[in-house]
Amino acid sequence: MHFLAPSLLLGVLAAVLPALIHRIGRRRARPVRFAAMELLMRADREVAARRKLRDKLLLIARTALAAALPLAFAQPFALVRSDLPAVTGRSQSAVMVLDDSASMRRHGPSGTPFAVARDRARAVIEHLSPDSEVALVLASEGTAAPIAELSGDRPRVLAALDAVTASARAADFGAALRRATQILSSSTRADRLIYVATDLQAAGWGGVTAATLTGVPQVVVMDASDGVPWTNRAVLDLHAEPAPEEGAQGLAILAEIANFSPQPVSRLGVTLALDGAQTARGFVDVPANGRARKRFVLTAAGGHQADVAIDHDDFPLDDHRVALVEAARGLRILVVDGDPRTVRTEDETFFLEAALRAGGSGFSVTTVLPDQLGERDLSAYGAIFVANVSRPTTAAAAALERYVRGGGGLFISVGAKVDADAWNQTLAPLLPQPLGLARSAAALPGSHTDGETVDLRPAERLAPFDRRHPLLSAFPARGEGLASARFFEYMLLAPVPDAPARRTLLRYESGAPALVETQVGRGRVLLLTTSIDREWTDLPIRPGFLPLVQEAARYLAGAPSGEATAALGVGERREIPLEPDERRIEVIRPSGDSRWLMPASRPDPRSRRVVVFTETDEPGFYRVRAARADGTIADRPDASFVVDLAPGESDPARLPDDRRPDRGGGRTGAGPAPQRRLELWHLLGAAAIGLVLLESLLTLRFRRGRARA
Amino acid sequence: MPGLALDPRDIARLESMSVRARVIVEGAFAGLHQNPHAGSSIEFSEHKEYAPGDDIRRIDWKAVGRVDRYYLKRFEDETEMRAFLLLDASASMGYGREGPTKLAYASYLTAALAYLLAQQGDPAGLLIFDAETRQMLPPRTRGGHVRDVLGALDAVYPAGRTDPARALSYVAEIADRRSLILLFSDLLDAPAELSDRLRQLRARGHDVALFHILHPDEIELPFDELTEFEAMEPGDDRRLLVDPRDLAVSFRKASAALRDRWRRACIEARVEYQLATTADPPAEVLRAFLFARQRGRK
Repeated sequence: MHFLAPSLLLGVLAAVLPALIHRIGRRRARPVRFAAMELLMRADREVAARRKLRDKLLLIARTALAAALPLAFAQPFALVRSDLPAVTGRSQSAVMVLDDSASMRRHGPSGTPFAVARDRARAVIEHLSPDSEVALVLASEGTAAPIAELSGDRPRVLAALDAVTASARAADFGAALRRATQILSSSTRADRLIYVATDLQAAGWGGVTAATLTGVPQVVVMDASDGVPWTNRAVLDLHAEPAPEEGAQGLAILAEIANFSPQPVSRLGVTLALDGAQTARGFVDVPANGRARKRFVLTAAGGHQADVAIDHDDFPLDDHRVALVEAARGLRILVVDGDPRTVRTEDETFFLEAALRAGGSGFSVTTVLPDQLGERDLSAYGAIFVANVSRPTTAAAAALERYVRGGGGLFISVGAKVDADAWNQTLAPLLPQPLGLARSAAALPGSHTDGETVDLRPAERLAPFDRRHPLLSAFPARGEGLASARFFEYMLLAPVPDAPARRTLLRYESGAPALVETQVGRGRVLLLTTSIDREWTDLPIRPGFLPLVQEAARYLAGAPSGEATAALGVGERREIPLEPDERRIEVIRPSGDSRWLMPASRPDPRSRRVVVFTETDEPGFYRVRAARADGTIADRPDASFVVDLAPGESDPARLPDDRRPDRGGGRTGAGPAPQRRLELWHLLGAAAIGLVLLESLLTLRFRRGRARA
Repeated sequence: MPGLALDPRDIARLESMSVRARVIVEGAFAGLHQNPHAGSSIEFSEHKEYAPGDDIRRIDWKAVGRVDRYYLKRFEDETEMRAFLLLDASASMGYGREGPTKLAYASYLTAALAYLLAQQGDPAGLLIFDAETRQMLPPRTRGGHVRDVLGALDAVYPAGRTDPARALSYVAEIADRRSLILLFSDLLDAPAELSDRLRQLRARGHDVALFHILHPDEIELPFDELTEFEAMEPGDDRRLLVDPRDLAVSFRKASAALRDRWRRACIEARVEYQLATTADPPAEVLRAFLFARQRGRK
């Protein structure tokens, strides 16, 4: 033990004072010859044990107090071996890189690795020489540095360090080291160091190679896990797909579960919750260091928030995953017949209905006239086929748009009755491209009469198409069934800039679009640029017509919008478009707190209004609502989204030693361990306070006893 | 009348034991019209000259007419009551602080009773004892006997250990007829067999009363500084260095238990028990004793 003020130790001699006073007091006792000695001795026997104990305690407390005070004033300390890197003792410019990624939130034997890392970072910062300067950078991707410049204001740096909490983001040490290097480039000191407090999970070091470390100052890694390996189980993926075996509304939810452990896991509990309510529970066996899939099959309609959770382990953050799934709306099909005929075979939708009703399809087909469209509850239908409707009414157009934006599927086919201008005016938001002129490719067979000029031009056929689209994947490689179809007339489409939501699935040999798909809101629209009957094409009598129509119906009825259900990574931003009548957007985070967002002013009034949400720091379901111009607030299921944990954060694989930035080129923080001073006067001060309290307590009891006497 | 009952310290300042005895007796009877000690009986025995406090209803007016002096009629059970006054003069009786010692106080009471008995014409003897019988004056009725008794009380001093049971045994041997036996002691080191002696005396028809004399210190232990207590009786070398405030509660309990023990023993033996502290006016104690006896007779 050492002392800062050893001369004050002389005060320890005061420790003999209480005993001395006690002895003097005994000598000064008044002698009394007393007759009732027997009574006195009897009374003394009764209280002697308690009195002697109290007297001894008082004497000890007072002696210890008399000794503790001068000892504390002498400021004792002990020199203990420090577990800090040796280099911390040098005067330097340093950047502390603190790993705040998701994996640091797991529970370990000594708390979370994040807490350990932060404590070690704090110890290093406190131990740096007073003239050192330090900055603080976080390792999670996309996070701003709390102290982005070198600072000698140690309390400020420590306060910033204390304010850091572990995030759910993935680690990106490449970016963090680049940032640290950039900060240190402003320093002119010889000693420039980067301290990295991390659990050394390999996933975050993907961007760090020997090449990227060129020019990086000395790196000192402080392992918050102390090299102790950890195991983990995680739900890595969650998605839905149709489950035909359960009927039209069958839905299969598939969870991919990983076991990052050398031991297999048997009967791991897996729970499915739909919209917050537990729906199913099962078990799964996962091989060692392997993966397994758990498939839940159920019947459901509409969109749902699915949450699959496994039995918890030390890292609960990845023990569940959320996804937005949408079941098929059912196989109810609404056909809008724009050119009804009294002769059934001449009816516009004769072939369409026949194909949809073909044996075993399961479709329930309802046919209406165009003026009945606005009266119907369209949400009950999985898909709507609008065939050769001349000009949709405003009400019908609005109903169709709501239907599609809400996730419905619309198939539009044209014909001689279609008024392209009217369509372009009323249904422009739904059309993949504006309709143009009708083009005659060839005369219909048998349509020319004697004496007229015979149109000898060959009819258009379909160009080879990409079978990777789900609608076309059922067709043979060379497109048999569709390739033979002839197209005598079709409608051209006005050119528009490319858009990611629009795809041309089929083209004529001339290059003109034949079947175009676009996404509108959460729904899809397919536009066939020719007729669905035999007026402009013989497609309806070709073998490919039936599968094309049925697949289109299934695709439109059952397929959810890819964009709507796409999950974001933690920290990614989300653009949310506003409908024309919406003023503000509310985003409710998984924790329940919400943010209201106002769209920024638009430089171009014709551009669409959007809000950008950036606070995607928590994995889970983010619900979106909109405040409309009329003051009402409505859910925006089409804009709601899910934020997922990066799968790499679940993998406990440790960064190999040969890839550690502190193990190459002799650049290490090793060396003789420094000693640090362990102050003891706090302890003695606390002991003195305790002794004062004890002495006061004993004296108080003593006086109370006498007052009773 | 409490106003006329002198404080023990005032009593101590009086010049002789005979004066003290008279003052105490007068204090006890001051304002009273009846001697509470005298009883009544049917069978006339003899005359007794009137003394203050005697019942004037019992004045024999015929005798007054004959001899021009006041005489009372006395009855059979009032005549020749032999009394033994037993005074504990052991060392422990010598304790006193701020006032008379227990022995002095007990002497005052003994003297007053001796004086009163002589006034009534009853023979009274005195036995001063410690562990042994130190002095014995047998009961007599001659004129100078009371002076001898008061003189012996004036000269008494505390010494030796105590054995009241032995003193009672001695009296039991010499008391050949029914007698009044009054014991004055602090009973601090009295043996348990004292209870048996008291019972035996009562069984033989003696009228026994016990004056338990204590100093207030032996009831309250009022000391308030570190004190080294030493035993008083010879051969007892016990010492205790203690802050008396630590022991006060337990001491009071022990002291109360001692008094209670002897009170119970007296009740069981049908012996009168009279507690007196050296702070109590002796006249009051005497009056209380006489009234208690009168009540007992009725």
